[in-house]
Amino acid sequence: MEPTYRNGGMNFCWKLRYLFSKPERHDVVAVRFAGNRVMLLKRVVALEGEEIEFRDGKLLVDGKEVPEPYVVHPCNWNLPPRRVERGSVYVVGDNRSMPLEQHYFGQTTVKRIIGVPIW
Amino acid sequence: MVKLKYILFFFVIAGLGLLAARHFSQSEEKRVRKQFDLLSEYVSKDSDENAIALANKMQKLGSLFGDTCKLQVAVELLSGTYTREEIASYAARARARFQKVSLGFHDLEVAFPEDGHAKVTLTARLTGQTRAGEQMRETRELECLLKKSENEWLFTHIAVIEVLRK
Repeated sequence: MEPTYRNGGMNFCWKLRYLFSKPERHDVVAVRFAGNRVMLLKRVVALEGEEIEFRDGKLLVDGKEVPEPYVVHPCNWNLPPRRVERGSVYVVGDNRSMPLEQHYFGQTTVKRIIGVPIW
Repeated sequence: MVKLKYILFFFVIAGLGLLAARHFSQSEEKRVRKQFDLLSEYVSKDSDENAIALANKMQKLGSLFGDTCKLQVAVELLSGTYTREEIASYAARARARFQKVSLGFHDLEVAFPEDGHAKVTLTARLTGQTRAGEQMRETRELECLLKKSENEWLFTHIAVIEVLRK
């Protein structure tokens, strides 16, 4: 999530954030990656039912380009369109400087989202 | 008075039964956890491991698995059902890539969905250094099924939970 959040840094998580609401686009969320201790900070870029695609590094949702002011390092990612399943969101990190294959991102269930970083 | 005696007797027997069931379930859980300790021990490797130690470990590793074990991972090429010999052989080849490697299991949650079957959800952490000097550090959530066979808990299914699907 660099440069928004430092890699390996410590953050506190607000777990009640989605008690009465659902994640929205551009929210930074903590995703439970393994067990109860391994978390990933990612940004929600697409919601359930939407079609997501990367074309020459640009994010497209339902065929329309979505501005991403938080992305500092431009990339040339290309990912064919795919639809976000029910009960899921599509999350990506802000650091796009690495090749697409090495970046942890993709569709995850809302149940895996445990909250948001406090700052 | 006689009635009270019978009621007390009933509660004592029921209490003993509950204690026995708890003790049995805890000891079974310990035995399931022990299999993960052994798996970790056999997969892990120091830089000074010799050929005899390797052969010994691989033989023991195979004995932790059922006649067949289903592996379910994101890489389709690796997914499939393997015999314990195939698993030992594959593990030996994978370990050969490393100068040293360590596999640890954390946050084990053990459940017994039915008699003789255990379902374990856990975090697996693999750290190591390849022969080329590259450092490796991978963490994944796993779901494992074990089946009790001749008083031994054997791995029959190992699935890597896919949290993010591109």
